[in-house]
Amino acid sequence: MIAYAANLATIVAIFAILAATLNFIVGYAGIFSVAHAVFFGLGAYAGAQVALLLIPDPLLACLAGAVVAGGLSLCLALPALRVRGEYFVAASMGLQMMAVTLFSEAKPLTGGIGGLVNIPRPTLFGVEVSVLPLALVALALILLATALLQRGAFGRTLQALRDAESAAEALGKNVAAAKTLAMAFACAGAGIGGALFALHLSFVNVESFTMDQSVLVMAMVIIGGTGTLWGPLVGAIILLSLPSGLAFIPFIPPTEVGAVQQIVYGLAMTLLMIFRPAGLVGDLSKGRATA
Amino acid sequence: MTTEVLRTENLSRSFGGVQAVAGVSLTLHAGAVTALVGPNGAGKTTTFNLITGNLRADSGTAAIRGKPIMGLKPWQVARLGVARSFQDLRLFTHMTVRENVLAATETASWFWQPGGSTARRAREARADAALEATGLSALARARAIDLAYAERKFLSMARILAAEADIWLLDEPASGLDLASRTRFGQLLKDAQARGVAICLIEHNLDVVVELSNRIAFLDQGKVLAEGDPDAILKDPALAAIYFGDRPQEAA
Ligand SMILES: Nc1ncnc2c1ncn2[C@@H]1O[C@H](COP(=O)(O)OP(=O)(O)OP(=O)(O)O)[C@@H](O)[C@H]1O
Ligand SMILES: [Mg+2]
Repeated sequence: MIAYAANLATIVAIFAILAATLNFIVGYAGIFSVAHAVFFGLGAYAGAQVALLLIPDPLLACLAGAVVAGGLSLCLALPALRVRGEYFVAASMGLQMMAVTLFSEAKPLTGGIGGLVNIPRPTLFGVEVSVLPLALVALALILLATALLQRGAFGRTLQALRDAESAAEALGKNVAAAKTLAMAFACAGAGIGGALFALHLSFVNVESFTMDQSVLVMAMVIIGGTGTLWGPLVGAIILLSLPSGLAFIPFIPPTEVGAVQQIVYGLAMTLLMIFRPAGLVGDLSKGRATA
Repeated sequence: MTTEVLRTENLSRSFGGVQAVAGVSLTLHAGAVTALVGPNGAGKTTTFNLITGNLRADSGTAAIRGKPIMGLKPWQVARLGVARSFQDLRLFTHMTVRENVLAATETASWFWQPGGSTARRAREARADAALEATGLSALARARAIDLAYAERKFLSMARILAAEADIWLLDEPASGLDLASRTRFGQLLKDAQARGVAICLIEHNLDVVVELSNRIAFLDQGKVLAEGDPDAILKDPALAAIYFGDRPQEAA
Protein backbone atom coordinates (compact mmCIF):
# COMPACT_ATOMS: atom_id res chain seq x y z
CA MET A 1 0.00 0.00 0.00
CA ILE A 2 2.83 2.40 0.85
CA ALA A 3 4.62 1.44 -2.34
CA TYR A 4 1.38 2.08 -4.21
CA ALA A 5 0.96 5.51 -2.63
CA ALA A 6 4.60 6.41 -3.27
CA ASN A 7 4.24 5.38 -6.90
CA LEU A 8 1.08 7.46 -7.31
CA ALA A 9 2.73 10.45 -5.60
CA THR A 10 5.73 10.22 -7.93
CA ILE A 11 3.52 10.08 -11.01
CA VAL A 12 1.41 12.97 -9.71
CA ALA A 13 4.54 15.07 -9.08
CA ILE A 14 5.85 14.35 -12.59
CA PHE A 15 2.53 15.19 -14.23
CA ALA A 16 2.22 18.29 -12.07
CA ILE A 17 5.55 19.38 -13.57
CA LEU A 18 4.10 18.81 -17.05
CA ALA A 19 0.89 20.64 -16.22
CA ALA A 20 2.69 23.56 -14.55
CA THR A 21 5.01 24.06 -17.51
CA LEU A 22 2.20 23.72 -20.05
CA ASN A 23 0.17 26.19 -18.02
CA PHE A 24 3.02 28.63 -18.34
CA ILE A 25 2.56 28.86 -22.10
CA VAL A 26 -1.19 28.24 -22.27
CA GLY A 27 -2.32 30.33 -19.33
CA TYR A 28 0.05 33.25 -19.71
CA ALA A 29 1.15 33.43 -23.32
CA GLY A 30 -2.04 31.97 -24.81
CA ILE A 31 -0.01 29.41 -26.78
CA PHE A 32 -2.27 26.35 -26.98
CA SER A 33 0.22 23.56 -27.56
CA VAL A 34 -1.12 20.03 -27.82
CA ALA A 35 2.41 18.68 -28.23
CA HIS A 36 3.63 18.85 -24.66
CA ALA A 37 4.04 15.06 -24.51
CA VAL A 38 6.62 15.32 -27.30
CA PHE A 39 8.95 17.25 -25.04
CA PHE A 40 8.11 14.97 -22.13
CA GLY A 41 9.21 12.12 -24.41
CA LEU A 42 12.40 13.84 -25.58
CA GLY A 43 13.39 14.37 -21.95
CA ALA A 44 12.55 10.78 -21.09
CA TYR A 45 14.65 9.33 -23.92
CA ALA A 46 17.54 11.69 -23.18
CA GLY A 47 17.46 10.91 -19.46
CA ALA A 48 17.17 7.17 -20.11
CA GLN A 49 20.12 7.21 -22.51
CA VAL A 50 22.28 9.07 -20.00
CA ALA A 51 21.47 6.42 -17.39
CA LEU A 52 21.97 3.55 -19.84
CA LEU A 53 25.13 4.74 -21.58
CA LEU A 54 26.88 6.89 -18.97
CA ILE A 55 25.86 6.88 -15.33
CA PRO A 56 22.43 6.69 -13.68
CA ASP A 57 22.91 10.11 -12.12
CA PRO A 58 19.42 11.66 -11.86
CA LEU A 59 20.75 15.24 -11.92
CA LEU A 60 22.67 14.61 -15.12
CA ALA A 61 19.63 12.84 -16.58
CA CYS A 62 17.43 15.82 -15.74
CA LEU A 63 19.96 18.21 -17.23
CA ALA A 64 20.12 16.16 -20.43
CA GLY A 65 16.33 16.00 -20.55
CA ALA A 66 16.01 19.75 -20.10
CA VAL A 67 18.66 20.56 -22.69
CA VAL A 68 17.37 18.16 -25.34
CA ALA A 69 13.70 19.06 -24.89
CA GLY A 70 14.32 22.79 -24.47
CA GLY A 71 16.82 22.87 -27.31
CA LEU A 72 14.66 20.95 -29.77
CA SER A 73 11.68 23.10 -28.84
CA LEU A 74 13.64 25.98 -30.39
CA CYS A 75 14.04 24.45 -33.82
CA LEU A 76 10.64 22.79 -33.83
CA ALA A 77 8.60 25.61 -32.34
CA LEU A 78 10.24 28.48 -34.15
CA PRO A 79 8.45 27.97 -37.44
CA ALA A 80 5.26 26.97 -35.67
CA LEU A 81 5.17 30.14 -33.56
CA ARG A 82 4.78 32.18 -36.70
CA VAL A 83 1.18 31.08 -36.80
CA ARG A 84 -1.39 32.07 -34.21
CA GLY A 85 -4.43 30.87 -32.35
CA GLU A 86 -6.17 27.85 -33.80
CA TYR A 87 -3.49 27.54 -36.49
CA PHE A 88 -0.92 26.96 -33.79
CA VAL A 89 -3.12 24.26 -32.23
CA ALA A 90 -3.20 22.52 -35.60
CA ALA A 91 0.55 22.95 -36.12
CA SER A 92 1.35 21.51 -32.70
CA MET A 93 -0.99 18.63 -33.41
CA GLY A 94 0.98 17.90 -36.55
CA LEU A 95 4.21 18.03 -34.59
CA GLN A 96 2.76 15.60 -32.04
CA MET A 97 1.79 13.09 -34.73
CA MET A 98 5.12 13.40 -36.47
CA ALA A 99 7.00 12.92 -33.21
CA VAL A 100 5.15 9.71 -32.35
CA THR A 101 6.18 8.27 -35.70
CA LEU A 102 9.78 9.36 -35.23
CA PHE A 103 9.86 7.96 -31.69
CA SER A 104 8.59 4.63 -33.02
CA GLU A 105 11.10 4.52 -35.88
CA ALA A 106 14.31 5.92 -34.38
CA LYS A 107 15.27 2.57 -32.86
CA PRO A 108 18.88 3.41 -31.92
CA LEU A 109 17.75 6.43 -29.91
CA THR A 110 14.36 5.43 -28.58
CA GLY A 111 14.31 1.66 -28.81
CA GLY A 112 11.42 1.93 -31.29
CA ILE A 113 8.01 0.55 -30.31
CA GLY A 114 9.56 -1.68 -27.66
CA GLY A 115 11.17 1.32 -25.99
CA LEU A 116 14.19 1.52 -23.73
CA VAL A 117 14.27 -1.14 -21.03
CA ASN A 118 16.36 -1.95 -17.97
CA ILE A 119 17.16 1.64 -17.18
CA PRO A 120 19.33 1.40 -14.05
CA ARG A 121 18.01 2.69 -10.72
CA PRO A 122 19.14 6.26 -10.08
CA THR A 123 22.05 6.76 -7.71
CA LEU A 124 23.29 9.99 -6.19
CA PHE A 125 26.87 9.94 -4.86
CA GLY A 126 26.85 6.15 -5.04
CA VAL A 127 23.64 5.75 -3.05
CA GLU A 128 20.48 4.47 -4.71
CA VAL A 129 17.72 7.07 -4.44
CA SER A 130 14.01 6.95 -5.12
CA VAL A 131 12.57 9.34 -7.66
CA LEU A 132 9.81 10.70 -5.40
CA PRO A 133 11.91 13.23 -3.44
CA LEU A 134 13.68 14.29 -6.63
CA ALA A 135 10.37 14.83 -8.39
CA LEU A 136 9.01 16.83 -5.46
CA VAL A 137 12.08 19.05 -5.40
CA ALA A 138 11.92 19.54 -9.17
CA LEU A 139 8.22 20.37 -8.94
CA ALA A 140 8.84 22.87 -6.14
CA LEU A 141 11.63 24.56 -8.10
CA ILE A 142 9.56 24.72 -11.26
CA LEU A 143 6.57 26.15 -9.41
CA LEU A 144 8.85 28.72 -7.80
CA ALA A 145 10.42 29.65 -11.12
CA THR A 146 7.05 29.97 -12.86
CA ALA A 147 5.67 32.04 -9.97
CA LEU A 148 8.62 34.43 -10.15
CA LEU A 149 8.50 34.72 -13.93
CA GLN A 150 4.74 35.13 -13.98
CA ARG A 151 4.75 37.91 -11.44
CA GLY A 152 7.58 39.82 -13.05
CA ALA A 153 8.13 41.64 -16.30
CA PHE A 154 8.34 38.44 -18.36
CA GLY A 155 4.90 37.32 -17.19
CA ARG A 156 3.51 40.72 -18.09
CA THR A 157 5.09 40.50 -21.52
CA LEU A 158 3.46 37.11 -22.12
CA GLN A 159 0.07 38.31 -20.94
CA ALA A 160 0.40 41.44 -23.05
CA LEU A 161 1.09 39.48 -26.21
CA ARG A 162 -1.75 37.12 -25.37
CA ASP A 163 -4.22 40.03 -25.02
CA ALA A 164 -3.01 42.22 -27.89
CA GLU A 165 0.02 41.04 -29.80
CA SER A 166 0.24 44.05 -32.10
CA ALA A 167 0.05 46.48 -29.19
CA ALA A 168 2.81 44.60 -27.38
CA GLU A 169 4.96 44.86 -30.49
CA ALA A 170 4.15 48.54 -30.84
CA LEU A 171 5.61 49.01 -27.35
CA GLY A 172 8.92 47.51 -28.45
CA LYS A 173 8.40 43.93 -27.34
CA ASN A 174 10.01 41.30 -29.52
CA VAL A 175 7.02 39.01 -29.47
CA ALA A 176 8.63 36.10 -31.31
CA ALA A 177 11.60 36.07 -28.93
CA ALA A 178 9.40 36.17 -25.84
CA LYS A 179 7.22 33.33 -27.14
CA THR A 180 10.24 31.25 -28.07
CA LEU A 181 11.79 31.77 -24.67
CA ALA A 182 8.56 30.83 -22.91
CA MET A 183 8.33 27.71 -25.08
CA ALA A 184 11.92 26.74 -24.35
CA PHE A 185 11.40 27.20 -20.62
CA ALA A 186 8.20 25.15 -20.60
CA CYS A 187 9.64 22.40 -22.79
CA ALA A 188 12.84 22.18 -20.74
CA GLY A 189 10.62 21.69 -17.68
CA ALA A 190 8.70 18.95 -19.48
CA GLY A 191 12.06 17.37 -20.35
CA ILE A 192 12.99 17.24 -16.67
CA GLY A 193 9.66 15.57 -15.99
CA GLY A 194 10.45 13.07 -18.74
CA ALA A 195 13.89 12.19 -17.36
CA LEU A 196 12.41 11.59 -13.92
CA PHE A 197 9.64 9.51 -15.47
CA ALA A 198 12.16 7.27 -17.25
CA LEU A 199 14.20 6.77 -14.09
CA HIS A 200 11.10 6.07 -12.05
CA LEU A 201 9.69 3.40 -14.34
CA SER A 202 13.08 1.98 -15.48
CA PHE A 203 11.39 1.64 -18.85
CA VAL A 204 9.98 4.03 -21.42
CA ASN A 205 8.25 3.63 -24.74
CA VAL A 206 6.34 5.77 -27.18
CA GLU A 207 2.96 4.89 -25.59
CA SER A 208 3.59 7.51 -22.91
CA PHE A 209 4.25 10.32 -25.37
CA THR A 210 1.19 10.26 -27.59
CA MET A 211 -1.48 12.81 -28.33
CA ASP A 212 -3.62 11.23 -25.58
CA GLN A 213 -1.00 12.17 -23.05
CA SER A 214 -0.78 15.73 -24.38
CA VAL A 215 -4.55 16.04 -24.13
CA LEU A 216 -4.50 14.64 -20.59
CA VAL A 217 -1.97 17.27 -19.52
CA MET A 218 -4.01 19.97 -21.22
CA ALA A 219 -7.08 18.70 -19.32
CA MET A 220 -5.15 18.98 -16.05
CA VAL A 221 -4.32 22.59 -16.84
CA ILE A 222 -7.86 23.49 -17.83
CA ILE A 223 -9.56 21.65 -14.97
CA GLY A 224 -7.17 23.08 -12.41
CA GLY A 225 -7.39 26.57 -13.83
CA THR A 226 -5.26 28.14 -16.55
CA GLY A 227 -3.05 31.00 -15.52
CA THR A 228 -3.05 30.06 -11.85
CA LEU A 229 -0.09 28.81 -9.84
CA TRP A 230 -1.76 25.91 -8.04
CA GLY A 231 -4.35 24.97 -10.65
CA PRO A 232 -2.09 22.58 -12.59
CA LEU A 233 -1.14 20.78 -9.38
CA VAL A 234 -4.80 20.39 -8.41
CA GLY A 235 -5.63 19.24 -11.93
CA ALA A 236 -2.85 16.62 -11.89
CA ILE A 237 -3.92 15.28 -8.50
CA ILE A 238 -7.56 15.01 -9.53
CA LEU A 239 -7.06 13.43 -12.94
CA LEU A 240 -4.51 10.91 -11.69
CA SER A 241 -6.37 9.93 -8.51
CA LEU A 242 -9.55 9.39 -10.46
CA PRO A 243 -8.57 6.04 -12.01
CA SER A 244 -7.30 4.67 -8.72
CA GLY A 245 -10.38 6.01 -6.96
CA LEU A 246 -12.64 4.27 -9.47
CA ALA A 247 -10.73 1.02 -9.05
CA PHE A 248 -11.80 0.96 -5.41
CA ILE A 249 -15.50 1.33 -6.19
CA PRO A 250 -16.74 -2.27 -5.86
CA PHE A 251 -19.68 -2.29 -8.27
CA ILE A 252 -17.64 -1.25 -11.32
CA PRO A 253 -16.24 -4.36 -12.96
CA PRO A 254 -12.46 -4.01 -13.43
CA THR A 255 -12.79 -4.46 -17.18
CA GLU A 256 -15.11 -1.45 -17.37
CA VAL A 257 -12.99 0.94 -15.29
CA GLY A 258 -11.38 2.42 -18.41
CA ALA A 259 -14.72 3.23 -20.02
CA VAL A 260 -16.19 4.65 -16.82
CA GLN A 261 -13.10 6.77 -16.40
CA GLN A 262 -13.52 8.28 -19.87
CA ILE A 263 -17.13 9.10 -19.10
CA VAL A 264 -16.25 10.69 -15.77
CA TYR A 265 -13.45 12.77 -17.38
CA GLY A 266 -15.75 13.97 -20.11
CA LEU A 267 -18.59 14.77 -17.76
CA ALA A 268 -16.27 16.57 -15.35
CA MET A 269 -14.79 18.71 -18.14
CA THR A 270 -18.21 19.64 -19.50
CA LEU A 271 -19.68 20.53 -16.11
CA LEU A 272 -16.57 22.45 -15.20
CA MET A 273 -16.62 24.57 -18.33
CA ILE A 274 -20.24 25.42 -17.61
CA PHE A 275 -19.95 26.19 -13.90
CA ARG A 276 -16.30 27.11 -13.39
CA PRO A 277 -14.94 28.15 -16.78
CA ALA A 278 -11.72 29.45 -15.21
CA GLY A 279 -10.98 26.06 -13.63
CA LEU A 280 -11.16 24.91 -10.03
CA VAL A 281 -8.49 27.32 -8.77
CA GLY A 282 -9.21 30.14 -11.23
CA ASP A 283 -11.33 33.06 -10.13
CA LEU A 284 -14.85 32.93 -11.43
CA SER A 285 -15.23 36.49 -12.72
CA LYS A 286 -12.06 36.08 -14.74
CA GLY A 287 -13.34 32.94 -16.41
CA ARG A 288 -16.61 34.56 -17.35
CA ALA A 289 -14.92 37.63 -18.76
CA THR A 290 -12.56 35.50 -20.83
CA ALA A 291 -15.31 33.25 -22.12
CA MET B 1 14.85 75.78 -36.19
CA THR B 2 12.75 72.74 -35.42
CA THR B 3 14.44 69.39 -35.84
CA GLU B 4 12.96 66.99 -38.31
CA VAL B 5 12.65 63.55 -36.72
CA LEU B 6 10.55 61.51 -39.09
CA ARG B 7 10.18 61.74 -42.83
CA THR B 8 8.27 59.62 -45.30
CA GLU B 9 8.69 59.91 -49.03
CA ASN B 10 6.16 58.65 -51.54
CA LEU B 11 4.82 55.90 -49.32
CA SER B 12 2.39 53.77 -51.27
CA ARG B 13 0.34 50.71 -50.58
CA SER B 14 -2.62 49.12 -52.28
CA PHE B 15 -4.93 46.32 -51.23
CA GLY B 16 -6.16 44.45 -54.27
CA GLY B 17 -7.66 47.19 -56.40
CA VAL B 18 -7.77 49.79 -53.63
CA GLN B 19 -4.90 52.27 -53.61
CA ALA B 20 -5.07 52.98 -49.86
CA VAL B 21 -1.94 55.13 -49.70
CA ALA B 22 -0.66 56.74 -52.89
CA GLY B 23 2.64 58.52 -52.50
CA VAL B 24 2.42 60.08 -49.05
CA SER B 25 5.31 62.35 -48.08
CA LEU B 26 5.17 63.63 -44.52
CA THR B 27 7.62 65.15 -42.10
CA LEU B 28 7.28 65.33 -38.34
CA HIS B 29 9.23 67.82 -36.25
CA ALA B 30 10.26 67.72 -32.63
CA GLY B 31 7.84 69.68 -30.49
CA ALA B 32 5.23 69.99 -33.21
CA VAL B 33 1.80 68.46 -33.66
CA THR B 34 0.91 67.48 -37.20
CA ALA B 35 -2.74 66.65 -37.69
CA LEU B 36 -3.56 64.04 -40.29
CA VAL B 37 -7.08 64.73 -41.43
CA GLY B 38 -9.23 63.35 -44.17
CA PRO B 39 -12.48 61.49 -44.77
CA ASN B 40 -13.06 57.86 -43.79
CA GLY B 41 -10.96 55.51 -45.84
CA ALA B 42 -8.51 58.27 -46.82
CA GLY B 43 -5.56 56.09 -45.82
CA LYS B 44 -4.64 57.69 -42.48
CA THR B 45 -4.39 54.49 -40.45
CA THR B 46 -2.67 52.72 -43.32
CA THR B 47 -0.04 55.47 -43.39
CA PHE B 48 0.67 54.79 -39.71
CA ASN B 49 0.85 51.07 -40.37
CA LEU B 50 3.39 51.62 -43.13
CA ILE B 51 5.59 53.75 -40.87
CA THR B 52 5.43 51.33 -37.93
CA GLY B 53 6.14 48.24 -40.00
CA ASN B 54 2.71 46.70 -39.42
CA LEU B 55 2.29 46.78 -43.19
CA ARG B 56 4.89 46.60 -45.95
CA ALA B 57 4.93 49.50 -48.38
CA ASP B 58 4.70 48.75 -52.10
CA SER B 59 7.07 51.65 -52.66
CA GLY B 60 8.43 54.72 -50.94
CA THR B 61 10.65 55.19 -47.93
CA ALA B 62 10.54 56.35 -44.35
CA ALA B 63 13.36 57.39 -42.07
CA ILE B 64 13.76 58.36 -38.44
CA ARG B 65 16.47 60.97 -37.89
CA GLY B 66 17.91 59.95 -41.23
CA LYS B 67 17.92 56.23 -40.47
CA PRO B 68 15.82 54.26 -42.99
CA ILE B 69 13.14 52.19 -41.28
CA MET B 70 11.58 50.38 -44.20
CA GLY B 71 11.56 46.63 -43.64
CA LEU B 72 11.97 46.91 -39.88
CA LYS B 73 9.61 44.98 -37.64
CA PRO B 74 7.13 46.94 -35.52
CA TRP B 75 9.09 46.32 -32.32
CA GLN B 76 12.26 47.57 -33.96
CA VAL B 77 10.55 50.76 -35.08
CA ALA B 78 9.18 51.16 -31.55
CA ARG B 79 12.68 50.92 -30.12
CA LEU B 80 13.74 53.82 -32.31
CA GLY B 81 11.40 55.95 -30.25
CA VAL B 82 8.05 55.59 -31.98
CA ALA B 83 4.95 55.00 -29.87
CA ARG B 84 1.57 54.58 -31.50
CA SER B 85 -2.00 54.23 -30.41
CA PHE B 86 -4.58 52.16 -32.24
CA GLN B 87 -7.96 53.29 -33.42
CA ASP B 88 -9.41 50.24 -31.63
CA LEU B 89 -7.08 50.77 -28.61
CA ARG B 90 -5.84 47.16 -28.23
CA LEU B 91 -5.45 47.34 -24.47
CA PHE B 92 -4.14 44.37 -22.53
CA THR B 93 -7.69 43.64 -21.48
CA HIS B 94 -7.10 41.07 -18.74
CA MET B 95 -4.29 42.94 -17.06
CA THR B 96 -4.78 45.71 -14.56
CA VAL B 97 -4.45 49.35 -15.53
CA ARG B 98 -1.07 49.61 -13.80
CA GLU B 99 0.17 46.39 -15.43
CA ASN B 100 -0.83 47.76 -18.82
CA VAL B 101 1.35 50.79 -18.23
CA LEU B 102 4.20 48.86 -16.59
CA ALA B 103 4.27 46.59 -19.63
CA ALA B 104 4.90 49.67 -21.74
CA THR B 105 8.09 50.38 -19.79
CA GLU B 106 9.47 46.85 -20.16
CA THR B 107 10.92 46.21 -23.59
CA ALA B 108 13.52 43.49 -23.01
CA SER B 109 12.22 40.09 -24.13
CA TRP B 110 14.49 38.17 -21.78
CA PHE B 111 13.35 36.50 -18.52
CA TRP B 112 14.22 39.69 -16.66
CA GLN B 113 14.75 43.34 -17.50
CA PRO B 114 18.24 44.86 -17.37
CA GLY B 115 19.30 47.24 -14.63
CA GLY B 116 18.14 45.38 -11.53
CA SER B 117 15.97 46.91 -8.84
CA THR B 118 17.11 50.50 -9.45
CA ALA B 119 15.88 50.34 -13.02
CA ARG B 120 12.73 48.57 -11.87
CA ARG B 121 11.88 51.33 -9.44
CA ALA B 122 12.52 53.91 -12.14
CA ARG B 123 10.12 52.07 -14.47
CA GLU B 124 7.49 51.88 -11.75
CA ALA B 125 7.86 55.59 -11.07
CA ARG B 126 7.44 56.29 -14.78
CA ALA B 127 4.32 54.12 -14.91
CA ASP B 128 2.83 55.80 -11.86
CA ALA B 129 3.58 59.25 -13.29
CA ALA B 130 1.82 58.24 -16.51
CA LEU B 131 -1.21 57.08 -14.51
CA GLU B 132 -1.20 60.36 -12.60
CA ALA B 133 -1.00 62.44 -15.77
CA THR B 134 -3.91 60.57 -17.35
CA GLY B 135 -6.03 60.67 -14.20
CA LEU B 136 -6.03 56.89 -13.82
CA SER B 137 -4.20 56.55 -10.49
CA ALA B 138 -7.36 55.66 -8.59
CA LEU B 139 -8.09 52.89 -11.11
CA ALA B 140 -4.59 51.40 -11.05
CA ARG B 141 -5.83 48.03 -9.82
CA ALA B 142 -8.91 47.80 -12.04
CA ARG B 143 -8.72 45.52 -15.03
CA ALA B 144 -8.59 47.24 -18.40
CA ILE B 145 -11.66 45.38 -19.59
CA ASP B 146 -13.72 46.91 -16.77
CA LEU B 147 -12.93 50.52 -17.67
CA ALA B 148 -15.37 53.03 -19.12
CA TYR B 149 -14.84 54.34 -22.65
CA ALA B 150 -12.95 57.54 -21.81
CA GLU B 151 -10.81 55.70 -19.26
CA ARG B 152 -9.80 53.21 -21.91
CA LYS B 153 -8.72 55.98 -24.20
CA PHE B 154 -6.63 57.49 -21.43
CA LEU B 155 -5.10 54.11 -20.62
CA SER B 156 -4.01 53.87 -24.23
CA MET B 157 -2.39 57.30 -23.79
CA ALA B 158 -0.82 56.30 -20.47
CA ARG B 159 0.98 53.42 -22.18
CA ILE B 160 2.38 55.83 -24.73
CA LEU B 161 3.46 58.32 -22.06
CA ALA B 162 5.21 55.58 -20.09
CA ALA B 163 6.96 54.25 -23.19
CA GLU B 164 9.08 57.42 -23.27
CA ALA B 165 9.06 57.66 -27.03
CA ASP B 166 9.77 60.95 -28.76
CA ILE B 167 7.57 60.29 -31.79
CA TRP B 168 3.90 59.72 -31.15
CA LEU B 169 1.51 58.43 -33.81
CA LEU B 170 -1.99 58.81 -32.37
CA ASP B 171 -4.94 57.28 -34.21
CA GLU B 172 -8.09 59.16 -33.23
CA PRO B 173 -7.19 59.35 -29.52
CA ALA B 174 -9.74 62.06 -28.77
CA SER B 175 -12.74 60.68 -30.65
CA GLY B 176 -15.83 60.32 -28.50
CA LEU B 177 -14.35 62.18 -25.52
CA ASP B 178 -16.50 64.65 -23.60
CA LEU B 179 -15.30 68.23 -23.24
CA ALA B 180 -13.59 67.78 -19.87
CA SER B 181 -11.72 64.70 -21.07
CA ARG B 182 -10.76 66.50 -24.25
CA THR B 183 -9.27 69.31 -22.21
CA ARG B 184 -7.26 66.83 -20.20
CA PHE B 185 -6.15 65.15 -23.39
CA GLY B 186 -5.14 68.48 -24.87
CA GLN B 187 -3.01 69.17 -21.83
CA LEU B 188 -1.23 65.81 -22.29
CA LEU B 189 -0.38 66.75 -25.86
CA LYS B 190 0.79 70.25 -24.93
CA ASP B 191 3.03 68.86 -22.18
CA ALA B 192 4.53 66.32 -24.54
CA GLN B 193 5.01 68.97 -27.19
CA ALA B 194 6.81 71.16 -24.66
CA ARG B 195 9.15 68.26 -23.98
CA GLY B 196 9.98 68.07 -27.66
CA VAL B 197 7.89 65.07 -28.68
CA ALA B 198 6.98 64.97 -32.37
CA ILE B 199 3.30 64.15 -32.65
CA CYS B 200 1.17 63.01 -35.54
CA LEU B 201 -2.50 63.17 -34.65
CA ILE B 202 -5.30 61.59 -36.65
CA GLU B 203 -8.43 63.47 -35.72
CA HIS B 204 -11.85 64.05 -37.27
CA ASN B 205 -13.01 66.85 -34.98
CA LEU B 206 -11.74 70.04 -36.61
CA ASP B 207 -12.11 72.06 -33.39
CA VAL B 208 -9.64 69.73 -31.74
CA VAL B 209 -7.36 69.95 -34.76
CA VAL B 210 -7.36 73.75 -34.72
CA GLU B 211 -6.75 73.87 -31.00
CA LEU B 212 -3.90 71.37 -30.85
CA SER B 213 -2.05 71.22 -34.11
CA ASN B 214 0.69 73.32 -35.66
CA ARG B 215 0.34 71.81 -39.10
CA ILE B 216 -2.22 69.88 -41.04
CA ALA B 217 -1.75 67.27 -43.70
CA PHE B 218 -4.97 66.74 -45.57
CA LEU B 219 -5.29 63.25 -46.95
CA ASP B 220 -7.84 62.01 -49.46
CA GLN B 221 -7.86 58.75 -51.39
CA GLY B 222 -4.32 58.04 -50.28
CA LYS B 223 -2.87 61.38 -51.37
CA VAL B 224 -1.82 64.43 -49.39
CA LEU B 225 -3.92 67.13 -51.08
CA ALA B 226 -2.61 69.97 -48.94
CA GLU B 227 -0.18 70.48 -46.15
CA GLY B 228 0.51 73.52 -44.02
CA ASP B 229 -0.95 76.02 -41.62
CA PRO B 230 -4.23 74.82 -40.01
CA ASP B 231 -6.21 78.00 -40.61
CA ALA B 232 -5.32 78.21 -44.27
CA ILE B 233 -6.14 74.58 -44.92
CA LEU B 234 -9.42 74.54 -43.07
CA LYS B 235 -10.58 77.67 -44.91
CA ASP B 236 -10.02 76.07 -48.30
CA PRO B 237 -13.52 75.44 -49.68
CA ALA B 238 -12.38 72.67 -52.02
CA LEU B 239 -10.95 70.65 -49.11
CA ALA B 240 -14.03 71.34 -47.00
CA ALA B 241 -16.16 69.95 -49.77
CA ILE B 242 -14.15 66.74 -49.82
CA TYR B 243 -14.02 66.52 -46.07
CA PHE B 244 -17.75 66.92 -45.65
CA GLY B 245 -18.48 64.30 -48.23
CA ASP B 246 -19.40 66.52 -51.14
CA ARG B 247 -17.52 65.48 -54.25
CA PRO B 248 -18.63 67.57 -57.22
CA GLN B 249 -16.00 66.06 -59.51
CA GLU B 250 -17.37 62.59 -58.92
CA ALA B 251 -20.99 63.60 -59.12
CA ALA B 252 -20.44 65.07 -62.55
N1 LIG C 1 -5.60 45.36 -44.17
C1 LIG C 1 -6.36 45.85 -45.16
N2 LIG C 1 -6.80 45.03 -46.12
C2 LIG C 1 -7.58 45.52 -47.14
N3 LIG C 1 -7.94 46.80 -47.26
C3 LIG C 1 -7.52 47.67 -46.33
C4 LIG C 1 -6.71 47.24 -45.23
N4 LIG C 1 -6.45 48.31 -44.44
C5 LIG C 1 -7.05 49.36 -45.05
N5 LIG C 1 -7.70 48.97 -46.16
C6 LIG C 1 -8.43 49.88 -47.08
O1 LIG C 1 -7.60 50.97 -47.35
C7 LIG C 1 -8.33 52.18 -47.37
C8 LIG C 1 -7.76 53.14 -46.33
O2 LIG C 1 -8.04 52.65 -45.04
P1 LIG C 1 -7.56 53.36 -43.72
O3 LIG C 1 -7.93 52.48 -42.60
O4 LIG C 1 -6.15 53.73 -43.84
O5 LIG C 1 -8.45 54.67 -43.71
P2 LIG C 1 -8.55 55.80 -42.60
O6 LIG C 1 -8.18 57.06 -43.26
O7 LIG C 1 -7.82 55.41 -41.38
O8 LIG C 1 -10.12 55.81 -42.34
P3 LIG C 1 -10.94 56.01 -40.98
O9 LIG C 1 -11.10 57.47 -40.78
O10 LIG C 1 -12.26 55.36 -41.30
O11 LIG C 1 -10.22 55.31 -39.89
C9 LIG C 1 -9.77 51.80 -47.12
O12 LIG C 1 -10.40 51.67 -48.36
C10 LIG C 1 -9.67 50.47 -46.44
O13 LIG C 1 -10.80 49.69 -46.70
MG1 LIG D 1 -8.31 54.91 -39.50
